[in-house]
Amino acid sequence: MSGITNWFEYVGDRWSDVWGASWDHLMLVIQVMIVATVLSVAVGVAVRNNATLRNIALGVAGILITIPSLALFTIFIPIVGLGFKPAFIALLLYAILPILRNTITGLREVDPNVLESARGMGLNGTQRLIRVQLPLAWPVILAGIRVSTLITTGFAAIATLVAGPGLGIFIKDGLRRLGLPLSMESVWTGTIFTILLALALDLVLSTIGRFTTSRGVR
Amino acid sequence: MAPGLRLLRGNVGLMVAPVVIAIAGVLLAVRVGGAEKDFSEASALQWSERLWPQLRRHIELTMWSTFWVLIIAIPLGILLTRPRLKFLAGPVLTVANSGQAIPAYGLLVLLAAWLGTTFSTAVIAFTIFAILPVLRNTMVGLDQVDKSVIEAGRGMGMSRRRALVSIELPLAVPVILAGVRTALVINVGMAALAFLIGGGGLGETINSGLKLQRDLTTFTGAAMVALLALTVDWIAAVAERVLRPRGL
Repeated sequence: MSGITNWFEYVGDRWSDVWGASWDHLMLVIQVMIVATVLSVAVGVAVRNNATLRNIALGVAGILITIPSLALFTIFIPIVGLGFKPAFIALLLYAILPILRNTITGLREVDPNVLESARGMGLNGTQRLIRVQLPLAWPVILAGIRVSTLITTGFAAIATLVAGPGLGIFIKDGLRRLGLPLSMESVWTGTIFTILLALALDLVLSTIGRFTTSRGVR
Repeated sequence: MAPGLRLLRGNVGLMVAPVVIAIAGVLLAVRVGGAEKDFSEASALQWSERLWPQLRRHIELTMWSTFWVLIIAIPLGILLTRPRLKFLAGPVLTVANSGQAIPAYGLLVLLAAWLGTTFSTAVIAFTIFAILPVLRNTMVGLDQVDKSVIEAGRGMGMSRRRALVSIELPLAVPVILAGVRTALVINVGMAALAFLIGGGGLGETINSGLKLQRDLTTFTGAAMVALLALTVDWIAAVAERVLRPRGL
């Protein structure tokens, strides 16, 4: 039990550092997720009616997620240098597949009869997309965003290896001083706050889902 | 039809991948071989002393952790979808989903502090990390088997166990194989972090590059890990095609 008390003491003593790193981590994840969502939904919408383009888009996203995280984090360093940029690019490339896949699935699962009636009511292609297809596909898209956010938050802990921001710094510090006093507390801090952040974001997204899902499909 | 021929039909992607990987590998070798290197870079990029042993170690780490993941996750997935333990399935899936948020980096270091910085620690950490997705795949795969097909088998006089072995498992094979592929891909990626706790692997080269601030070294390590991951994924995809039951 004393271990746990020590840990709370450790976190309490360094609260401003912990808070700062959590904030940086959160900002990195949020920026990545916003860009990833916009990009994936846009691509998903663009390729939804063409089997070849669809397979190419999913194929490329599949290759990206296959490439190991550390490789993706470091491979752009020669071009963009260390810090925020390589971390942002790597996480972005990683975050695309779940959202893209769900966008395509969600849009394709919309009942053709519903689209037919929308057309009968005089909606043109764009209106059908915005007022019928996307709202009906939204719960599926959001599920993709949630998976993607969980993965991104976890992986963002590695960003510190390329001098990026976030909670990974506590893990890295703890590892460097492994065996010395307070090293374990540091590692636990990085790990636990990363998980807490991921679960908090997931909760926020599920709440957003409840408020933004159209009544009919809830 | 011979498995080889069966593969050829309609699988252009499977044919193209190895060619692309091979070309990228050759380009990388030419680029690295022809580059002007200073002493530290030349020693970090030595093939027989550094890169080759690291590559081998990387593959060993991947294979062992994948082996343990399969040994644990597939039987566990089968157990959790049996009627008697079914009530556990929901909670386990929830945990498996949230488990994706665990930072691999943290898990690795925590285990290293507990079990020491060895090869086995790395394997254990990667196994834990990859179990959840494979378990989820197995459970979803078994769950997705049409219940009326099982009923039909039972009606034909099959015992529960017989229905599991000759109906449920074969029908769930594609999903379980997808889980194997997932485990392999995750583990190749995780193995790149093994260097953090002295487990070796190609992460060493990436790390030397970062430490020495030699971009070519970092890039070589990253590119080799990426190519290895794509190769492993390709082999798994081929296996998926070959092992899938004919009827599906």
